[in-house]
Amino acid sequence: MRITRAIIPITLCVLLVSLAAPAQKRYGRTAKPPQTAVVSPIDTDALKGLLTQQRERPLLVNFWATFCDPCRDEFPELVKINNDYGSKSLEFFTVSLDDMSEIKKEVPKFLDAMKAKMPAYLLNVNDPEPAINLVDRKWRGDLPATYLYNEKGEIVYKHIGRVNIAELREAIDKVVKKGSS
Amino acid sequence: MKRTLSILLASLFVIAGAIVAVAARAGGEVPEPPAIGATIADFTLPDVDNKNHSLKSLAGKNGTVLIFISVQCPVSNAYNERMEKLAQDYKAKGINVIGINANVAEDAAAVKAHAAEHNLTFPILKDPGNKIADKLGAAVTPEAYFLDPNNKLLYHGRIDNARNAAQVETSDLRNALDSALADKAVEKTEAKAFGCSIKRA
Repeated sequence: MRITRAIIPITLCVLLVSLAAPAQKRYGRTAKPPQTAVVSPIDTDALKGLLTQQRERPLLVNFWATFCDPCRDEFPELVKINNDYGSKSLEFFTVSLDDMSEIKKEVPKFLDAMKAKMPAYLLNVNDPEPAINLVDRKWRGDLPATYLYNEKGEIVYKHIGRVNIAELREAIDKVVKKGSS
Repeated sequence: MKRTLSILLASLFVIAGAIVAVAARAGGEVPEPPAIGATIADFTLPDVDNKNHSLKSLAGKNGTVLIFISVQCPVSNAYNERMEKLAQDYKAKGINVIGINANVAEDAAAVKAHAAEHNLTFPILKDPGNKIADKLGAAVTPEAYFLDPNNKLLYHGRIDNARNAAQVETSDLRNALDSALADKAVEKTEAKAFGCSIKRA
């Protein structure tokens, strides 16, 4: 009887811990997560430099924000793309349109939770319109926005809103040189 | 038997229609907004107490500003005070501000509570099924449309250049209203609105 009494609370504790652990992992809410993601501020000119510099590989750019639900939803798949293609075959960077006050808070916290390794920037401008027009005059600034450029810097694929991953991968496969990954 | 078959067929059509609608939306494309100078047809939407209002009944004698807003979007919320100030400043000049919430996940009760919490006194309408957001091609919150007394679109886009009120350099919407009130042509008729995507049904 005593043993049974002891087993019940122990079993309950084990059950609770096992239920809580995956939830913590999922949301990245461990006690003190080590922050590793570095987010660099970028202005319109610097963004222009990044988009127009000569390159040997295609470039994928994802514009997002922590307050944007579809951005958060599609992010794990983008991380997977970065891991799958690797920097030898595909350049990939992200640009957050969060407020500058989030550069050391929510933005790196989310990137860490996603285990995102691609270079991360935050658009630090008073007026986002010139940057939006620089990327694409037809883009209205709604997020997420994903652009794929070939080596010549031409847009070969774009999607505003949650990206269709199969479609994006197909577009990447068309421009990535075989054997370079 | 025939009746069952026709019910079954009708149901299949409805389901197929719903799938097509969802697939079309999944493309992520927001409908194109009307061109500057286009006339916006009158519409009727319910307020937060489910009472219907036509655009005509809420319009100002010198024009109307429609602003798509949100309960949860931090960008829209950063503009709460500025939107209320805008409504107060221009009400006396005959231009009325109307808020429209087209986010599917924000119901009338949430919109009402949010307006009370942030002291938003201008009328706020719900746009079920985002029909008006689609008609106007509204993509984000906040996003503004300024109509003259004949519902002709004079300005479309952002309220101003900066989410942070301290960094405002260009008050595009106010400039458009002031030009119209002074019987001058609006110089900048469009400026890209930046904010949270409208969560469509």
